[in-house]
Amino acid sequence: MTEHFEDELRRALRPVKAPAGFAERVMRALPERRESIVTPIAAKSTARPPNYWQRLRAPAALAASLMLAVLLGQRMAVQQQQQDEAAGLAASQELLQALRVTSQKLDLAYQAVKNPPEAETEENRS
Amino acid sequence: MPDDLLLRARAGHATAFAEIVEAHQGSVFSIAYRMLNNRAQAEDLAQDVFLQLYRKLDAIESLDHLGFWLRRVASNLAIDWLRRLPYTTTQPLDEGAEVAAAATDDDPLMSRELARLLGELAPAARAVMVLRYQEDRDIAEIAAALDMPANTVKSHIKRSLTALRSRMIGAKLITAEELS
Repeated sequence: MTEHFEDELRRALRPVKAPAGFAERVMRALPERRESIVTPIAAKSTARPPNYWQRLRAPAALAASLMLAVLLGQRMAVQQQQQDEAAGLAASQELLQALRVTSQKLDLAYQAVKNPPEAETEENRS
Repeated sequence: MPDDLLLRARAGHATAFAEIVEAHQGSVFSIAYRMLNNRAQAEDLAQDVFLQLYRKLDAIESLDHLGFWLRRVASNLAIDWLRRLPYTTTQPLDEGAEVAAAATDDDPLMSRELARLLGELAPAARAVMVLRYQEDRDIAEIAAALDMPANTVKSHIKRSLTALRSRMIGAKLITAEELS
């Protein structure tokens, strides 16, 4: 039966005695004073706490670096945008100028076709 | 054990701590010995447990908590110890372990073989069996001590019992009829 086997197991696993002198050996292995491994409360309270600004120095430096990086990034983005806008404006002005010149040339051509010179007409007749 | 024993030990009274060691050395050494099957290693491990206790005395809330804490640390240190060892299928059973109380209807051959076969179980399963059948702890406490779900503890017990039974039958120390 399962219970019978479990009883056998309990008998087989009866607690064994610790070796003679075990407790004495443990006590000899302990540090001289418990205070040497546990920080005494008095020592904790008299120890000077680190200065407020000293404790915040590293986080403040990190925050300042991050802010500087963000500001620089923003500045560079604005400059790039301004350069892009100026280049676009110049290109559009060039295009308008080209269109204007083309329009003038077309007007001249149209006038020439519409009102041909007289001399040329006489020559053609002869 | 008086209630103020812990307080005196915390205050640095060596005699109070010695009383704690005397009261719990059997349990801690037994867990270490059943896990490692080696008296010298078990003594080293048990000594480590009490040194850790000395450092953590402030965290012990009560004498009940003390017993639980010692079983928990001893089991887990033993599991870590076994996992660091190179893999062996069977830990040799050390001779000379003196049982705390003699049983009248004991079968020494069967007890010895069962203890040896226990050494073939995986470390976690072995710890579960030691806490269950040597320390007589319930499932909930074993689960808390070994940081495992209660169902895992039950599963370890069931599988370990089956494995031990079949090995005992294989070694012809018991017959299948005896178990049915």
